[in-house]
Amino acid sequence: MANNIMNWIDKRFPATEFIKHSLTEYPTPKNLSYWWNFGSLAGIVLLLQLITGIFLAMHYKADVELSFNSIQHIMRDVNYGWLLRYMHATGASAFFFVIFTHMARTLYYGSYRAPRELLWWTGQGLLLLLMATAFMGYLLPWGQMSFWGATVITNLFKAIPFVGDSIVTLLRGDFTVGDPTLTRFFALHYLMPFVIVGAVLIHLVALHTVKSSNPTGLELPAKDNIPFHPYFTIKDLFGLGVFLIFYSVFVFFIPTSLMEAANNIPANPMVTPNHIVPEWYFLPFYAILRSVPSLVGGVVAMGLSVVIFAFLPFLDRSRIPGGARYRPVYKAQFYVFMTVTIVLGCVGYRPPTSAAIAIVGQIATVMYFGSFLLLPFISKMEERWLIKRGLPAIVMALINEEAAEIEKHKQKKNQRNGVKS
Amino acid sequence: MKVFLKIALLCSLSAAAWGAEENFEQANVETTLPAIKRGADEVMGNCHACHTLKYIKYRDLVALGISQAKVDGWRGDEPMDAPLKAQMSEADAMAAFNKVPPDLSLMSQARDGGVNYLYSYLIGYFNKPDGTLSNHIFAETKMPDMLGMSNATDEVQKTAIKAKARDIVSFLNWTTDPHAAERIQLGKYVIAYLIVITTLLYLVKRQIWARIKYK
Repeated sequence: MANNIMNWIDKRFPATEFIKHSLTEYPTPKNLSYWWNFGSLAGIVLLLQLITGIFLAMHYKADVELSFNSIQHIMRDVNYGWLLRYMHATGASAFFFVIFTHMARTLYYGSYRAPRELLWWTGQGLLLLLMATAFMGYLLPWGQMSFWGATVITNLFKAIPFVGDSIVTLLRGDFTVGDPTLTRFFALHYLMPFVIVGAVLIHLVALHTVKSSNPTGLELPAKDNIPFHPYFTIKDLFGLGVFLIFYSVFVFFIPTSLMEAANNIPANPMVTPNHIVPEWYFLPFYAILRSVPSLVGGVVAMGLSVVIFAFLPFLDRSRIPGGARYRPVYKAQFYVFMTVTIVLGCVGYRPPTSAAIAIVGQIATVMYFGSFLLLPFISKMEERWLIKRGLPAIVMALINEEAAEIEKHKQKKNQRNGVKS
Repeated sequence: MKVFLKIALLCSLSAAAWGAEENFEQANVETTLPAIKRGADEVMGNCHACHTLKYIKYRDLVALGISQAKVDGWRGDEPMDAPLKAQMSEADAMAAFNKVPPDLSLMSQARDGGVNYLYSYLIGYFNKPDGTLSNHIFAETKMPDMLGMSNATDEVQKTAIKAKARDIVSFLNWTTDPHAAERIQLGKYVIAYLIVITTLLYLVKRQIWARIKYK
């Protein structure tokens, strides 16, 4: 009976084929570590945010007079409203934690390298969408930090030449952050997650074309691949369990630990908080913004600090495959970069009062961009040094194979040109 | 990678510690029902005249376990579902203080330092040499020293005032998040369940992966 139904469906829709292609026969490297859990985890956190968000929207009111009160209504009167709200607020932080870890893994193992450039770029697009969604969501509680954070960030668009002021007005729907801003941010905050779902599907199509990278950075022979299901479904489920334990500790025991006290005061355009600070996941970028003395320069630097990841496939010139596994200098660079990012995060958290902090921020900013801009030279020098020192046979074979291919290509081209002339 | 994670964790923890700029007295806030009830008495007696608690209704106080007779005394003609409005009108408050006293429902989380800020503020009153009143935590405050810390002369009095302040903070900690006790209780079950199921998932994972032969 079940077989008949499946046959009926398969004649009309490739259900079995799809399941085979993306689950039961989808080849996955068997040497993946737990660092490869964070992709599917991000998908689950996205679902969690969607579901809690939809239920919150049933009780939330996007109106400057009502929104602060409606949050308190959710916290006090709605059945398990407090749970929905704390899950959603903690979920935002969890989402960034998972995505940042996912990105750090990609950097460490060089997973962004050929043939996975498009996979990496779709991921970059997802990061931008996620940041926009989180930023707009943060306005909705209409607390002091919501209001002033949105004011400061929308103000940055003034840096755009000629049309800056008009764009700021367009974003806000008014000359200052107010009721139109709140309503449009709510509309977009509800819309964007579905755009993200679409972008995730594109990300997955790209992934299923090039398949997962693996810790060695080498393309593995077929015998070293195993089907995604059941091996990675169960591994991802176990990882999800571990994640949910940590997530629940935050949701149930320290739900306000990542919230700003000032956001428990309703937005007041007449009173500026002592220290306007963004959510933790924006701190490194915020520190870069503040480290550049001019507004335009700061905005450009901040934008670049997010977008620059997309250039990595071009910046990494090494012929040695993968990331840190066979490349000690690249590994050291990775740790320097992570440290610099955390230092920037700490700097972004501090009020911009002391000169020492400002200088640390500027040095870290230079090092942040240096990590990218010096990569072409460092990766080439590292390659020469490592080849001289000797690499594992399998890596050398791959490099030689690639060199031979390029040589062959060149000869063909020369021949063709020779014939022509 | 593990070493790095440890360093990162330490960094972020020290960053959090950095954030607390002022040293507040530790409130060691009590979450027991008697403490919250004592705090309710203090708040209704000392604070409610000027401050609203607009997210708390009289019915919530009865639901908490305060006797109906007592709540009836507090609410006067107000209905059970009315929020706790201040006895003083906003206009009168403006006339007296040139400022409307802030709502207290969320006060235990509305200042950096949270409950410790509140506690330190309540016991932070002192008389300056010129005889005027000030506060260690919030020098520009317009609120009078309701608990009388500035006039306390001996340790016995001070201890009594600190106990009152602690009870007030206990009550306001409850008003900020009335579901906190329920949340923590539920959280214990959720985490216990997750630990069990995650352990089972781990065992299944090991069993499934045992089929794979490594070279």
